[in-house]
Amino acid sequence: MIAELFQVPWSDYAPALLDGLERTVLYTIASFAGAAALGLALALLRVSRHRALRIPAAIYTEVFKNIPLLAIIFVTYFGLASVGLKLGVFSAGCVSLIVFYAAYLSEIFRSAIAGVHAGQQEASEALGLGKVSTFAYVVFPQALRSALPGTNTMLVDLLKSTSLLVTISAAELMSEGRLITSATFRALEVYLVIAAIYFVLCYPLSQGLLWLERKIRAGVPLTPRRRRRLKAARAMLEGASA
Amino acid sequence: MNVRALSDVVVRIENLNKSFDGRLVLDGVSLNVRNQKIVAIIGQSGGGKTTLLRCLNLLERPDHGLLEVAGETIFKGSSMECRDLAKLRQSVGMVFQRFNLFPHLTAVENVMLAQLRAGVPEKDALERAVQLLRRVGLAHRALAYPEQMSGGEQQRVAIARALALKPSVLLFDEPTSSLDPESTAEVLRVMRELAADGMTMVLVTHELPFARDVADWVVFVDGGKIVEQGAPADVLGKPQELRTRTFLASYAAGQ
Repeated sequence: MIAELFQVPWSDYAPALLDGLERTVLYTIASFAGAAALGLALALLRVSRHRALRIPAAIYTEVFKNIPLLAIIFVTYFGLASVGLKLGVFSAGCVSLIVFYAAYLSEIFRSAIAGVHAGQQEASEALGLGKVSTFAYVVFPQALRSALPGTNTMLVDLLKSTSLLVTISAAELMSEGRLITSATFRALEVYLVIAAIYFVLCYPLSQGLLWLERKIRAGVPLTPRRRRRLKAARAMLEGASA
Repeated sequence: MNVRALSDVVVRIENLNKSFDGRLVLDGVSLNVRNQKIVAIIGQSGGGKTTLLRCLNLLERPDHGLLEVAGETIFKGSSMECRDLAKLRQSVGMVFQRFNLFPHLTAVENVMLAQLRAGVPEKDALERAVQLLRRVGLAHRALAYPEQMSGGEQQRVAIARALALKPSVLLFDEPTSSLDPESTAEVLRVMRELAADGMTMVLVTHELPFARDVADWVVFVDGGKIVEQGAPADVLGKPQELRTRTFLASYAAGQ
């Protein structure tokens, strides 16, 4: 039964699959970095005191949250090309994922920033920290902690959504799967293997991110600078008590 | 003119006005705080005490009046004169009712942050932070996070944090209002030690016995105005104004 199911000469297709895997990872990294940056910018606009900044950012978020990703991909790749703005497959794929996920991430970031108690900003400013330092050292680290679970979910979701780029033949995993299927006519076998590869990518990723969340929640210092600082503090305290 | 007498005044407030949405919260308040003196501001909630305190480091922007802090004119007429807001705030420490410690940092890091941002070298900032935590009796909690500490401990760390940049005056906004009696006693003990060390302090407080005991000057604020001020024994013991007497009577009844 198992032998019957697996008849594709997988070793022949391994290089193609590896290429697809690499593409998928590249799409994920580039799009997530872009979406996080745009999402943060949108979130900052949305917590601004000025309506003229808040409103366009809110409109953006609502528009892109309520359009299917596939429609965005088609508009970016086929639609724009039809009016002379021809994006490459990689650019079109990344742009689509970025504008779509930025909308969701901006919601997560906005509520995380708004959730930092107003007294925190006040205490920081009372200590002489300027607006930028206050954001960088007081508000952002706290917002990051509360944004982490939602952000991590979005990262895994984005990775899975790269499979939609099969529609523009983006040469990622799903596209490779389709090519192998058309060469072997073994749709069930091929797509089961492709699905398994996605699982093998996503499961450790989401578990790793959960682990990271727990570390941060427990107050484990993540940056080398902070680790050194706490080590020096511990050494000084022990030196004093000895 | 006597230069020494001039420099003796750490905080000068003249005819300060502030309103929120058309409601006058500070109505022509004038007050001087001299070096090494402790001024307690008492009065009902909503009377303008906290707003007055928050004007002193420009967390609240007055409408008009004159403000001088540590020899610098920071507000005059109806405009900010403060060239360097960061520098002003480094010379004015503030302790809040709800502590407002940074929850993502340990106690020692809370005391170090402002120093590091002000350019103090890492090693010096750490040494000073540990020394200040020792001073408030919390060196053994240096690596604890705020959520792991009691309210009294958090407020003592907040005091150490406010002292980190060697301010010339400390502002306390109802520092014991969210604490249980035991924690209140801890915090008041630290404040008493600071007073003995000659720290200049302005405190908004409901702890009248503490004000009577520690303050050099008591100011009763009501309806945005200073109704009565003087030595604690006078204001709290022999109040001249009816409103002061009413307030003290209601306070005594509440005890």
